[in-house]
Amino acid sequence: MTQSGASVPVTRSSVRSRSSGGSSSEVDPREKVKACCRKLVEFMFTQVGVGGLVVCYAIVGAFAFQHIETAKDPKWEVEWHKAQTSPDHNLKGAWVQLAAVKRLTNLTANKLWDVTSSENVFNITTWKKSTDMILHEFQEGIVDSVKKGYDGREPEDAWTLPAALMFCLSIFTMIGYGNMVPKTTWGKVATILYAVFGIPVYILYFMNMGKVFANCFRWIYRTMYECTTKKPSIKVIELENGDTVAHPRVIVPTTACLWVISGYVLGGTIMFAEWEGWDYLDSAYFCVTSLCKIGIGDFVPGANILESRSGNQTKLVINFMYLLLGMGLIAMCYNLMREEVKVKMQDLKRDMRKWLEGLRIQSCYGKKKSKRYH
Amino acid sequence: MERKRSSRHRQRYRKRKTTCDKIKDFIREFIAFMFSNVGIIGLVVGYTICGAFMFQAIEGTEASDDREEAIKDIHSARSKTRDRLWEITQKFNVLEEEAWREQAASEVLKFQMEVIDAINKGYDGVDDVKDLSETSQWSFSGAFLYSLTVITTIGYGNVAPKTEWGKVATIFYAIIGMPLFLLYLSNIGDILAKSFKWSYAKCCLCRGCGGNRDSRSVSPENSVAVQVPEIIDETDEQYEESHIESTLGDSVKDDTITVPVTLCLAIMVGYVCGGAILFSKWEDWDFLDGSYFCFISLSTIGFGDIVPGDQIYASKGLDMSFIFCSMYLMLGMAIIAMCFNLMQEEVIHKFRSCVKAVKNCCSCSGARDDDVDTAPIE
Repeated sequence: MTQSGASVPVTRSSVRSRSSGGSSSEVDPREKVKACCRKLVEFMFTQVGVGGLVVCYAIVGAFAFQHIETAKDPKWEVEWHKAQTSPDHNLKGAWVQLAAVKRLTNLTANKLWDVTSSENVFNITTWKKSTDMILHEFQEGIVDSVKKGYDGREPEDAWTLPAALMFCLSIFTMIGYGNMVPKTTWGKVATILYAVFGIPVYILYFMNMGKVFANCFRWIYRTMYECTTKKPSIKVIELENGDTVAHPRVIVPTTACLWVISGYVLGGTIMFAEWEGWDYLDSAYFCVTSLCKIGIGDFVPGANILESRSGNQTKLVINFMYLLLGMGLIAMCYNLMREEVKVKMQDLKRDMRKWLEGLRIQSCYGKKKSKRYH
Repeated sequence: MERKRSSRHRQRYRKRKTTCDKIKDFIREFIAFMFSNVGIIGLVVGYTICGAFMFQAIEGTEASDDREEAIKDIHSARSKTRDRLWEITQKFNVLEEEAWREQAASEVLKFQMEVIDAINKGYDGVDDVKDLSETSQWSFSGAFLYSLTVITTIGYGNVAPKTEWGKVATIFYAIIGMPLFLLYLSNIGDILAKSFKWSYAKCCLCRGCGGNRDSRSVSPENSVAVQVPEIIDETDEQYEESHIESTLGDSVKDDTITVPVTLCLAIMVGYVCGGAILFSKWEDWDFLDGSYFCFISLSTIGFGDIVPGDQIYASKGLDMSFIFCSMYLMLGMAIIAMCFNLMQEEVIHKFRSCVKAVKNCCSCSGARDDDVDTAPIE
């Protein structure tokens, strides 16, 4: 038994070498394919895959929100009919205010008719006074409805697919325009959940895109440097222990990043001014507040209902791309400037502390002197 | 004898220095600490206040002019509608209900459009020109909230600049204010995270749930209690220095205790819910609207459809709403920065192990096939 035990490892190893030698032609392509797949999964997991993930998440979210906000109960017709006369109905979301305004209009019309038809002897002043009062009540009702979210549009008109896409983008990029908001309860809950999962995905995209763009930009900058000055942009330094280290001779300056961003904002300004008919200041204001993720929402491109109804959706898609790309460029600047800013902040902190220490030592020294004289 | 006296004199001298100079040193350290870290808070608040004054000056007069115009528009629209209704009534000698109603309905619809136009221009229910200044959205507190929403990148949009100078000012205010606010967040997040870890460590040790006794923040007290009285002064100084180091936050090595992620998440959720309850009571919203508002504001999305102060007309209530909202936002963002700071290490660690597991899976599937090749021959 021991003999066979002793001989087994030998046979196993020889068998293994035989098997590997015999089937090497079969194993190699499979290995290649497997390695390729592995590399692809890794790549998807890091670079372009994250961008695709973000776009897919936005598209899925757009469909979901469109469905949630325009969904009608099976009994909708009945409830809508009931809502014309009584405030006690089961409508949800934007329909609540649409029904309220319809009711208000009917009520006002009835009141006006009552006032007009009931006056036997026509006294103009009393008629005018009561009409004025009725119109005043109508006006207050409209203001109240507008504050509660009424904007004259039915959900199907408001929630077209491009508008929903822009809405999803404004959630996970944390811009938050606010020209389109969820009005149903489920819509609000879905917004919170969508944000909780979408914001980390977006931050991942932001960091990755920043790295990719930063590397590209460094390469472009170094190539241009080499072309213009005919000097190699990387110098090899010999360390003391004999190793060589490639040290970049030229670092991308902060101003280059700022020029890129300014150029992008300028390009966006001209593009939006031409397309949307805004003037240049409004366009620049829109670009800066969007790229800074503030997102005030008084100017939103493609929010014109008529255009989206007629199917001119390419504009919204291009806006979407512009914003995503702009965020990537800002991530690139953040990436390139981060080291510089960090070093500067540490220097500043150290200097401040040294100065305060100096003050403290001075005052201590002064006190000791005064004590000694006592 | 002389040496004893001098040594006792030295001891007494050192003791006197310890008791009263200790306090002075502590005050000096406190001021340095305030200036370097917490001074950032003052800077941010000062910047917001300056912004509030600036925007109030730029937009305030224009906004009140617009609102006056809007009120005039509504008055004129109402009287025009009334006159046209009178004309319709006069036209139909024998009052025909159907025809009259049709015409009246179209007039009312036109009036509705004009009311909505006036609302877009700035009308908000205040009908009397006298009450305008009390309920302005560009009062000091309103402008303060606007400046805060610009530098925190929330950007509600219910209050937006309409003048050209206002827009230009917003652009530059944002470009300078955002890095300042990020600095504030990182500093405050650091401070809060460190003090939270310290108090969490103390809590853990008090309850004895297996915390590490080597953490620097706890050891000096033990060592001081054990030391012989003569050497107390030196160890006191050492304790002070290490205490300074840990409070100024440069080289603390006491994070063998990590705060669990669930606790951080619980803090964030608790803050959102607490804010929801407060806002729903103050603003008369329901709980879902309150938590929706708190979440959307704290994540800096900031739609602006639900904003405090949009349903209150009284002047006192409006100011208090805005100021309370501003304080809630500043504190909330600091707490979120603290939670992210605390969760960072653990989340990065978990993310790395996740990625490693995925990579292992991929390489595992490759290695398993090699074994499969050799196994049947045995």
